[in-house]
Amino acid sequence: MTGPARGTLRLGIDVGGTNTDAVLMRGREVVASNKSFTTRDIGSGVIQSVTRLLESAKRGADEIGRVMIGTTQFVNAFVERKDLNPVAAIRIGAPCGDGVPPLVGFPEDLLGRIGRHVFWLEGGADYAGNAHGQVDEQAVLAIAAAIREREIPAAALTATFSPLRPDLEDEVAAVLRRGAPGLHVTCSARVGGMGLIDRENAAIMNASMALLSRRVIDALVDAFARLGITVPIYLTQNDGTLITTETAANYPVFTCSAGPTNSIRGAAFLAGVDDAVVVDVGGTTTDIGYVLRGFPRETALPNAIGGVRTNMRMPDILSIPLGGGSIVAIDGDAVEIGPQSVGHRLASDALVFGGETLTTTDLAVRAGLASIGDAALVADLADDDVRAAIEAIHARAEAAIDLVRVNGNPIPTILVGGGAILFPRDFAGSAGTLRPAFAEVANAIGAAIATVSGRSDRIYDLDVMAREDALADATRIAGDAARSAGAEDDSIELVELVELPLGHMQGRLVRVRARAVGALREVEHA
Amino acid sequence: MLEVRTTQDVQDMARGAVFLGAGGGGDPYVGELFVRNQIEQGRYPRVIALDALADDAFVVGVAGIGAPTVLVEQLVSENALVALIAQAERLYGRAIDAIFCVEIGGCNSMVPLGLGARLGLPVIDADGMGRAFPHLEMTSFSVAGHRSTPAALRDDRGNEADITLDDDRVAERVARGFASSLGGLVHSVVYPMSGAEIRASAIPGTLTATRDIGRTIRGARSGDGDPTDRLIAFLDDPAADRAAARLFSGKIVDITHETRDGWHWGTAVIDSEGGAGDRMTIGIQNEFVVARRNGETVISVPDIIVVLDQESAEPLTAEQLRYGQRVHVIGYAAAPLMRRPEGLAVFGPRAFGIAEDYRAFGDQAADAC
Repeated sequence: MTGPARGTLRLGIDVGGTNTDAVLMRGREVVASNKSFTTRDIGSGVIQSVTRLLESAKRGADEIGRVMIGTTQFVNAFVERKDLNPVAAIRIGAPCGDGVPPLVGFPEDLLGRIGRHVFWLEGGADYAGNAHGQVDEQAVLAIAAAIREREIPAAALTATFSPLRPDLEDEVAAVLRRGAPGLHVTCSARVGGMGLIDRENAAIMNASMALLSRRVIDALVDAFARLGITVPIYLTQNDGTLITTETAANYPVFTCSAGPTNSIRGAAFLAGVDDAVVVDVGGTTTDIGYVLRGFPRETALPNAIGGVRTNMRMPDILSIPLGGGSIVAIDGDAVEIGPQSVGHRLASDALVFGGETLTTTDLAVRAGLASIGDAALVADLADDDVRAAIEAIHARAEAAIDLVRVNGNPIPTILVGGGAILFPRDFAGSAGTLRPAFAEVANAIGAAIATVSGRSDRIYDLDVMAREDALADATRIAGDAARSAGAEDDSIELVELVELPLGHMQGRLVRVRARAVGALREVEHA
Repeated sequence: MLEVRTTQDVQDMARGAVFLGAGGGGDPYVGELFVRNQIEQGRYPRVIALDALADDAFVVGVAGIGAPTVLVEQLVSENALVALIAQAERLYGRAIDAIFCVEIGGCNSMVPLGLGARLGLPVIDADGMGRAFPHLEMTSFSVAGHRSTPAALRDDRGNEADITLDDDRVAERVARGFASSLGGLVHSVVYPMSGAEIRASAIPGTLTATRDIGRTIRGARSGDGDPTDRLIAFLDDPAADRAAARLFSGKIVDITHETRDGWHWGTAVIDSEGGAGDRMTIGIQNEFVVARRNGETVISVPDIIVVLDQESAEPLTAEQLRYGQRVHVIGYAAAPLMRRPEGLAVFGPRAFGIAEDYRAFGDQAADAC
């Protein structure tokens, strides 16, 4: 092969709302880390963080072989209704579902951004995957004409039972693009599983970020080009696996919970365990997640993002209002911690910084757990009160940790995040409390160690197909999907196989969900 | 009379319907959106009391038959429901004066409300179960001798069938077979009755109950004290012929699910906290059908077993139960009409394969808690 030699270092970046963290890794070794502020244009913050990182590590940009980025930019934009574009919500399945059209129950402020552009087509499938009729090209082209006329830049397509028949949405998308060249089209089967409304909502959410995601991804790619980094760039998605920049530009919704996912996976990696409870202590909240075989456990229930219910794969996180900025009230024997927090005003409002509010950070300083601010300012807090308060903080976290556990078996707890100093003693009921190095950049580490995955979610009729064959089919489809996502063949492993029987039906229908993951194929060295 | 005017009203009712679903009945979310869509268009459900019905009024039940899994994809077709009512009027040869929910627990509570709003047909504040049950014949109507058929069945694509059978158990099988062959879900108009007949055989006030229960849970959260205590204080009202009690509190330590004969079976095990070492085991057959404390049955069908999240008093369906959840188990007495011997033969413990006689909850609760 010709061309420039590619490096063997991996660059992991977490672009958060406040901080842009970067780490440099080789194999399992963390070579260097950096924390910088996120900038409004994204790009300059990334350039600054990576430049400092390379300087501190005394490395050149050409030594980087892969870039993996985690970002909360898209979910933040959606929640804040910033930079969203109008969306054509197209339902394929008439006459089914006319009583529950797209956008019912959407918040008004969101509709103000994306509009109320609803279109209907006949089609879709039944629960066995049989299609209802052919695509009516004329009807699709008429919708395309209306979209052009209203200057809508993106469309969300949702067909009945499309997780079983994604081709039914793809066919319509092709005709739609013919009639409206340049239209961004999100097919719902790509962004959600069974449950039409939740899947359609995810598709609409995705389509509403079409222009924004293109802009952000282009800014990122451009930033790396300016840094002289031309190797493949990946983004991490909700389940902690990687997608290409092209996929991320088309499916920004896949990155919506990458932040907590990367934090959980990074923590497990740093601590060197595959099964653990992860406690990420921030300023306002403590997020408690569960890592199972190296991946975050996902929610089983629908979750709402920015007021819109979806069934996207999200890590199951329990957030409790307890962090380094939580306000403390001591009244006789009673100690109250939170839920109010001084948040980003910690550096001005906390007692140790000359402020007038007693916070958990003040307790930590008084107890000698941390040395920030002026310890003299909290010297007159009573020993007993401080001890009782620290104990109360532990008790609160321990109760939450117990809620997150899947069974009674003792597993370790990993403590990460800036507020981890609040927890000097080990958690009761855990098989050890781990406090790994680099815990403050666990998110970026999580990005740097991301793998690739593939999924399958289908319904099988066990009266026509043997159960073993159905499970084998699901496993094969998930493995193929992982392979086409870039997984190394012999590293592909089935990590999830769930059978869900369909109740209230004659016959023996089961829905089988499978997920396979694998290591990213190594870059070819020159 | 119950007014359904706002999204908040509908959400309260959906939460109350989950409560009365006793762990089953299907998620009312799709139905909730159907009703909200009617309200967004300025069409409000009109709920009327049993007492407001003329003796010779002609009333029918509206129920979905099939898989909740299909409902979440196929959703609700307003046009199909409108056509179903027309089909039923042809079948019966007369105009329908009002409609009612056959099953108040779970998703079958919501669709009649939306349909009533769409057509301007009054919806009767009553149902045939006062809870959720898995079969069409498990109703107070059937026990009182009213047949579920002649019935009109219809899918969303215009396939229709009118069925007349002499036995409601057979009608259940035929209707479910029809649903299975047509995409897994049909809507039905069933239990044609006169105003006098439904007044004597229905569980009264159950739509209002969904709203009141949902509203009480919502209000209890923002108030002082334990929301579950406040909910029980509301439900346990001898003057209104209602009995409720907290039967157990603890942490779920085991949960199993499996499917046999098209039913969702399972067991939830809850251990008390604080070292008392007590254990409650809840049997699941689509709904929660029996709860035993240290092996002793404390409540069984048709009485209503509800599992609430301790923090929020949110009623949890069987599918939502997970290891580690802190829960309260609540008993809520079935309506008096559901506890009569002739009813217990159809939906008492033995109808669910539990080899025990029914003991009215309350008799047991006294020494349980």
